[in-house]
Amino acid sequence: MMENNILNNRQEKELAKEALEISLKNGAEHARVTLNMGMQNAFAVLDGKLDRLHMANDRSLYIQLYSKGRYGVFSTNRMERDELEYFIKQSIAATTLLAEDKCRTLPEKSLYFKGECEDLGQFDPTVLTLSPDTKKEIAFNAYNEIEGKSKLLISANTEYGDYLDYQYMIDSQSFEGESLQSGFTISAECSVKGRSDARPEAWWYDSTMQFSDFHPQGCGTVALERALAKLSPKKIKSGRYRMIVENSCASRLLSPIISALNGDSIQQNNSFLLNKLGQKVFPEHLNLIDTPHLKGMSGSRYFDAEGIATKDLQIIGSGVVNTYFINTYYANKMGVRATVEGPSVPSFSTEGYENQYRNLTLAEMIKIVGDGIFVTGFNGGNCNGTTGDFSYGIEGFLIKNGEIAHPIREMNITGNMISLWNTLLFTGNDARRCTRWQVPSLAFECADFTGL
Amino acid sequence: MYNKYLELFGIEVSDLQRLINIALEEGGDYADLYFEHSISNELALRDGEVNAAGSHIDYGVGIRVLSGDQTGYAYSEITTMPQMEKAARTAARIATSASGSYIPPQNITLLQGNNRYPIIKGWEQTTVTDKIPYLNRLNTLVFDADSRVVKVMARISDSITKILFYNSLGETYADLRPMVSVTCNCVMQDGGKIESGGTSRSFRSGFEMIDDRLIDTIAEEVISKTAFLFGAKQPKGGEMQVVMGSGSSGILLHEAVGHAFEADFNRKGTSIFSDMMGKQVCHNSINIIDDGTIKGNRGAVNYDDEGIPGQKTYLVKDGILNSYLHDRISASYYNTAPTGNGRRESFRYMPLPRMRATYMESGNLPEEELIASVKNGIYADNFSNGQVQIGAGDFTFFVKSGYLIENGKLTQPIKDINIIGNGPQALKDIIAVADNNTIDNSTWTCGKEQYCPVSCGMPSVLVNKLTVGGSN
Repeated sequence: MMENNILNNRQEKELAKEALEISLKNGAEHARVTLNMGMQNAFAVLDGKLDRLHMANDRSLYIQLYSKGRYGVFSTNRMERDELEYFIKQSIAATTLLAEDKCRTLPEKSLYFKGECEDLGQFDPTVLTLSPDTKKEIAFNAYNEIEGKSKLLISANTEYGDYLDYQYMIDSQSFEGESLQSGFTISAECSVKGRSDARPEAWWYDSTMQFSDFHPQGCGTVALERALAKLSPKKIKSGRYRMIVENSCASRLLSPIISALNGDSIQQNNSFLLNKLGQKVFPEHLNLIDTPHLKGMSGSRYFDAEGIATKDLQIIGSGVVNTYFINTYYANKMGVRATVEGPSVPSFSTEGYENQYRNLTLAEMIKIVGDGIFVTGFNGGNCNGTTGDFSYGIEGFLIKNGEIAHPIREMNITGNMISLWNTLLFTGNDARRCTRWQVPSLAFECADFTGL
Repeated sequence: MYNKYLELFGIEVSDLQRLINIALEEGGDYADLYFEHSISNELALRDGEVNAAGSHIDYGVGIRVLSGDQTGYAYSEITTMPQMEKAARTAARIATSASGSYIPPQNITLLQGNNRYPIIKGWEQTTVTDKIPYLNRLNTLVFDADSRVVKVMARISDSITKILFYNSLGETYADLRPMVSVTCNCVMQDGGKIESGGTSRSFRSGFEMIDDRLIDTIAEEVISKTAFLFGAKQPKGGEMQVVMGSGSSGILLHEAVGHAFEADFNRKGTSIFSDMMGKQVCHNSINIIDDGTIKGNRGAVNYDDEGIPGQKTYLVKDGILNSYLHDRISASYYNTAPTGNGRRESFRYMPLPRMRATYMESGNLPEEELIASVKNGIYADNFSNGQVQIGAGDFTFFVKSGYLIENGKLTQPIKDINIIGNGPQALKDIIAVADNNTIDNSTWTCGKEQYCPVSCGMPSVLVNKLTVGGSN
């Protein structure tokens, strides 16, 4: 069974080591080889019937070559030794035709993750033993939470999924690291009959790395409730409104900041946070931290894609940009020290808030905001990474007198990321544990909405 | 070619049929095998040097079993019979009848004849050395064109995908699918202001598609798009008339119409167009097409990924909803013929109804007339991405650049705004169609559950009312 192959992966690991040797023997001064192996299962139910059964196993080698100051990246899922050797030789030959780029190096050794650390609690062997009948039952149970609960229901589908991912990385500076992650996911989606031809739809999901933490109950109910809440939406007047963005979609507003802190954007002068390191760009009470060693979180890790050790990090402290995420290549280009190439489990600290705003539930946030718009989803749109100007379609609800009034439709928010974040009022206490980025609901003083 | 592909995947026709027999052992109605071997390459220029290359090999077989409208799917990256038999048995489990009654076909039908992506110079015969001069030329042209350019990034990506398909009806084909994309992004600095822009071209073709003329066009385009942004700003938002320029505004059709016409959504009753077949959905002069037959187009298919010939499908004919986009499952549900839209990202995915090249036929008005008829509105001609809510019908697309229209004239340049509308209403609100349909050959990729190359096109159209993002 492939399941056993992932855990008993001696053969594949040996092949990864051989790939490294072949690379070095055939002209590469340095190389990094990453072995990825995975398994996924999915059982999907549509309108009361098993709709889809999907099972998959994957394995591949990802090879980064540093040859005569030149760099190439190659991958294959053809794992026969002779074929692999031919592929690597061809890859080295292609790499040597490139222009020299002395900035392409492996990381400084002192930055590597070293040694044994406490288990991050990301693997549960139950993923190998759960029976197909149990998986099917979980998917059907979620469906049964929806069926017959509303006359307006048009269609519902639910899905149980699980996965096992293994990664093994070695390089020519003797770095060696591996990680093993499992996951269990339930999702539900339903459509209901709306006014005229409209068929509002909504989804919900939950996911954990340990089966003992997995509580699929309620997922179908939430999806149906969310769909029914969208009935009879109204388009409202354009204007500047207070805004709460729900935890389920708030990472959409953090993502442009993380991208703008990335070394690629910085080195290419393509970031709205260029030359902002050490400067106070955001409000005093904005504290963004990275805590990469939290147990049982899918983003947790001891090392990044280059083998650089992760550690607790203050990304933005009291509104000041404290770090860029710069991998070895961009560090060499810019003449600075490399960091991890990106955040692992970023989250917001509420230390800058007055006591009464430190531990707010979503309901409390809505009460405090009083009047405004509660955004529960984004519909398209984009952010210009160079300027920070953004414009997104949104869905959500009008808030009136501290209560949800009615759903809204066909509206955009538009503005600039730095300006928007400078109107941050407070953050909630409701980051979803199932997401890699721990972003809670966010409240802003004002945003430009366009509608009628 | 067919026998060579059998050899490539190490299999014989009798093995193919044996796998199908296993896949249908549990009582499934239909099964297919999709073997795929792809080699993709990329070559990148950054900071004035072509200094990064990559090659990627992907190989495997996907085995699908249909039982009514239920699907069992498994794949294997190893094409030895024991591994494939195991995958076939896994997929077979979707069926629940006690035993199969499948009778193997008496004859094998080799599907052939379509040749929508002929290759003159193959990618397997093209080296890094052949491609480098084009990236260097692009870099030089962009830097030389404008002193404000501070960074150029350019990339050539190419791939060759070899497909061997076989199904329980005895239909089989071999297909060689090329793809090439050239992309270029530049950053310009003017005083303290920085702007970035990008452009691309993509075709199903061999190396012959890349020549100096293509590189010159891309260089001119990336410069003009980026330079334009210095004078542009986000406009005041609200509901207004919008003239969509020809070409990439086909994203309107992709989001507002195409997805909602994909028959899987309609089969489930979740599309806002679910009950509109045969009904008037827009002005009777409008025809909207999804087309897999355009030679060298990114969305072209000789045969789709379940053995149906690529074809031209009228979604809207004379303003009436004429056809959904079908795969085998939805076609069977609607008791109609599949339309050749069963497509997938790779052997790792089961096929779904997907668009190919979606466009509107030209009308008969000059574009100037559309602009002249607008008192207050915007003209949008450069788009980056879009999205749709199938059930609610609300769609969006992001405008990278355009102009305000004031009293019938293009005035202030605008940029970076989202436009939102409702699909059925937006179709009804198309009140004028220009005579300039253009297919946009950028690197459009549709992300419905899995990635799929597509393209889109549009003549300039005037939409009476859309909600334009902006300040208040």
